[in-house]
Amino acid sequence: MRRSAVITGLGFITSIGNDRTEVLHSLRTLRGGLAPVEFFGNPALPVKVAGTIKGFSVESPSWRDWRYPERYQLSREQLRSLAPHGVYAVCAVEQALADAGLKADGLGDGATGLYCASAGSAFLLHHHIRQMHAVRGARGDPMGLVASIAGTLNFNLAAFYRIRGAVGGFAAACASSSHALGCALDDIRLGRQERMLVVGAEDVNAETVLPFAALHALSTNSDPAVASRPFDRRRDGFVASGGAVCLVLEDEETARRRQAPVYAALAGWGQAADGYSVAISHPEGAGLGAAMRRALADAGLAPGQIDYVNAHATSTPAGDRSEALALRSVFAAAGARPRISSTKGLTGHTLSMAGVMEAAFCSLALRERFIPGNANLVEPDEACADLDLPRAALDIAPGIVLNNSSGFGGSNVCHVLHRYPQ
Amino acid sequence: MESFPPSPTSAKATLLRHFPKEIREAYARSGATNDPAAIDTVVLGVLLDHVPDKARLAGLTLDDSVALIADLGLDSIALAQIVFFFEDLFEISISNAEIMGVRTVGDMRAFVRRKLADLSTAPPV
Repeated sequence: MRRSAVITGLGFITSIGNDRTEVLHSLRTLRGGLAPVEFFGNPALPVKVAGTIKGFSVESPSWRDWRYPERYQLSREQLRSLAPHGVYAVCAVEQALADAGLKADGLGDGATGLYCASAGSAFLLHHHIRQMHAVRGARGDPMGLVASIAGTLNFNLAAFYRIRGAVGGFAAACASSSHALGCALDDIRLGRQERMLVVGAEDVNAETVLPFAALHALSTNSDPAVASRPFDRRRDGFVASGGAVCLVLEDEETARRRQAPVYAALAGWGQAADGYSVAISHPEGAGLGAAMRRALADAGLAPGQIDYVNAHATSTPAGDRSEALALRSVFAAAGARPRISSTKGLTGHTLSMAGVMEAAFCSLALRERFIPGNANLVEPDEACADLDLPRAALDIAPGIVLNNSSGFGGSNVCHVLHRYPQ
Repeated sequence: MESFPPSPTSAKATLLRHFPKEIREAYARSGATNDPAAIDTVVLGVLLDHVPDKARLAGLTLDDSVALIADLGLDSIALAQIVFFFEDLFEISISNAEIMGVRTVGDMRAFVRRKLADLSTAPPV
């Protein structure tokens, strides 16, 4: 019989809160995490809002300047090989381990693995490359590579926590941590691992954010209260964010044996690519629709059994439209009408970490018995006809939920989670 | 409003910004006078800053015989970072071959003093 997997721990460093309690409050009350920013001290730049991380100061390339909440203890040996988002990640992992009732020194048994997702730190990589140019290649910081390239999260976290199981990183842009979570589920189902830490994290700085402005993907709305408005007619792009989320996924029997608290079960996942464009979603959401169907089939469910969908919708005109059409093709065509919301109206778009962050939000919704709402949605796009898009959070307990993610190259990944009897 | 990134500052001017006042003052003296005692103070300050587990310093007299790896707990990466730190701080160049023989606090003190002395006696180019 195939093994089942359950979610037993969550950790959050996000624009809407730096722990589970804060995040839950933000989701229930639609308290957003966006704030004014000025990149490169240049007020002429059209991008004026980001999903900032509060309580941390990691703007310097030198870890000696960094500040983070006192409750976290990071040694010099940890800090010297971390990127800014690595600091967020360590804090999120510490929270998730405590939440799951796990000890950091108990992860080295080979039964625990680690899958991560981040784009690396363009900021820190630029700093080190600039230094290398300055000395004409003569030398460089020995930690420069492992602190800044994609993979920095798994390099560091695997070493810090002495993890000896499966370790790797995923690079599918904004679907990356969804791939990480899906592959973690497979490893548990196949009996390869008993437990997986899934971590997504991103810097929030000019080097990570502004390249998306070159793609005309970012909102130029200067009002943090309304700049991110998924599915709304007046949306004009996404608001970038970052932070870190850690989710602990465990074999159900392992969790039961140690009497771990369970948020939800991860019942299935599916992925499908668009095969269409390097940077733009398929106009009818063909790949995302296929990914949703595959996730439902993997979980053995029909569209009508889904109570809530956490949409990928980032607030871009083209992306939200294609997702709306994909949702209609899967649900309306089957006579189903689940509640649908994008929590990015509150958080902004956290890029690689979006998938695992929103799976964690779904886990909270299942255990705490509510459905997140659509912040800043005033007038839905005409492509959203027939979709049920609640404005406020609903005090309705969902039983089964679907979590969507999409990334560059047309990668689409969906997870199915269901409520777990407490 | 948050500003990204913060204003740029001179790397050399800020290298010792997190160090105690006496180290920064010794550095200023070492540059002005090439004072061996001041150089020693800076070298020791930088070494101590790179010690990963400060508890190891309890009860340890930092005389010349203290071993960088066995006693202070420095690893090869920390040694490389110390070398780069000295290169930036004193504007000297240190090759891998030179640093291979540096194993103790005394070796490091002598090594930096020698490099600075060589610098001050080098013919102008």
